[in-house]
Amino acid sequence: MHGKLPLRKSKRGILPDPVRRMLPGALTLVAAIIVWKAISLAFIPIFFPGPALLVKRIIEIYSDPASYVVVGQTLARIFEGFVISMLAGMAIGLVMGLKRSIEIFFDSWIMVLLTFPAVCWAFLSVLWFGLSETAPIFTIVLIVVPYVAMNIWTGTKAVENGLIQMGTVYKANRFLMLRKVLIPQLMPYIFSSLRISLSLSWKIALVAEAFGVGSGVGQRLTYWFQETRVDMMLAWGVSFMIIMVLIDLLVFRSLSRRIFAWRPQFAT
Amino acid sequence: MSQGAKASSAITIDKLIKKFPLPGLGENFVVLHDISLTVDEGKFVSIVGPSGCGKSTLLNVIAGIESYDGGTVTIHPKGGRATAEPRIAYVFQSPRLLNWLTVENNINFVLEAQKVPRARWRELVAKNLEMVGLAGQERNYPLNLSGGMQQRVAIARALAIEPDILLMDEPFSHLDAITARKMRFDLMEILQRAKPTILFVTHDLSEAVFLSDSIYMMSTKPARIFKQVSIDIPRPRKPEDSTILDLEKTLVRDFFSVVEAQG
Repeated sequence: MHGKLPLRKSKRGILPDPVRRMLPGALTLVAAIIVWKAISLAFIPIFFPGPALLVKRIIEIYSDPASYVVVGQTLARIFEGFVISMLAGMAIGLVMGLKRSIEIFFDSWIMVLLTFPAVCWAFLSVLWFGLSETAPIFTIVLIVVPYVAMNIWTGTKAVENGLIQMGTVYKANRFLMLRKVLIPQLMPYIFSSLRISLSLSWKIALVAEAFGVGSGVGQRLTYWFQETRVDMMLAWGVSFMIIMVLIDLLVFRSLSRRIFAWRPQFAT
Repeated sequence: MSQGAKASSAITIDKLIKKFPLPGLGENFVVLHDISLTVDEGKFVSIVGPSGCGKSTLLNVIAGIESYDGGTVTIHPKGGRATAEPRIAYVFQSPRLLNWLTVENNINFVLEAQKVPRARWRELVAKNLEMVGLAGQERNYPLNLSGGMQQRVAIARALAIEPDILLMDEPFSHLDAITARKMRFDLMEILQRAKPTILFVTHDLSEAVFLSDSIYMMSTKPARIFKQVSIDIPRPRKPEDSTILDLEKTLVRDFFSVVEAQG
């Protein structure tokens, strides 16, 4: 090697770094709101509300204490479906990764479940369980479990054999091996499963509620649909989406920061 | 140093045979052919051979993570403790640490695995980290340590279970020459204190001569032991001592005469 490598000067503009990083996102948002407002002018407000009206409707909804009950009902269903799906999916994915015979058995079943139309599950749940709490949870579980199982199963393929050998030489029992060697290596897969299944769960929950539970946010959507009030539908939908995004950000992001603290790039 | 006249053996291997199936050929490839060796208690014994001669496989068989097809492998617990299962520690080529656990918890992992009473953990961790020169690193994570330091943690982890035998598979081969040299010196010093029985695998003859009480030389195709040398050079040793260098020269000559004769 000879000659001088060109020194790369870090470019510094007039704006401080955090502002520069946020700028493109902020500009996109502003542009979107302007376009939205422009289109909305061509329609009547209850058919295509503008940004200001939507915000007003959202405030109206959350000024009514009854709305919190509705949101609470839906959140409870999502939570139950989500927890059951995670536990079942992880268990299935894990045994599939560890036992060849079980892998062969579940392999085709997972494909069947993954390809079966989600809307069929929603109908079937209503037919089988009627207007009960079981219906939406059953729908969530059937749709989400194969995703989680598949993801964890993929994770078990990436487990480092050298560490299993190390544990075996030092005579770690199965439980210790699972806790300290296997699960930590699956953590990235568990985390992506958590986030995928939460986002799937809440969307399915709304659909299942719309189909026939008679309560929850999904039911509100059906109601306002029948009234052809797009403004109210969007207000419910968008506000609930914001709640779910906040849960994702506040719970999962901070949890993952803590769990992956051992990775040097996470350390501060 | 008390050099017992009648040392009892810690590992006895008799006519060990290990084959790997060759896919598609319906035939077995003989990895280890008629291997016999003994390692006396408290001794440092090396197996030297070219890459791919089956040295690591031999260690894996002794460690119980690979099966074998013939002969016997016997491991005797220290001091004739007939009751207990022998405790085996293994230092691999790469550190094989659990990167998500702190240094302390990496050692706790093997202590828990070996059912060492929890009350002793803190003391064993502190003592062994101090021994490998990493006192105060308990709370640190492995990926914040250099390669050499990670391998030291692996050595501390191995010693923490107070092993009857310690298997080492080219533990310094992934390190740069200067770090490796320092580690060899430190290992010698550590062993003065901990005194486990060691079976050490390497392709580096000078490393083997410097560290060992006894060397078994292995050839490849078929993998067998063709020579055993006892090394009585007093410790502490220096790698540049003329006695060590002379012995190394003789062994290198022997080694290549055998290996090259096989083509």
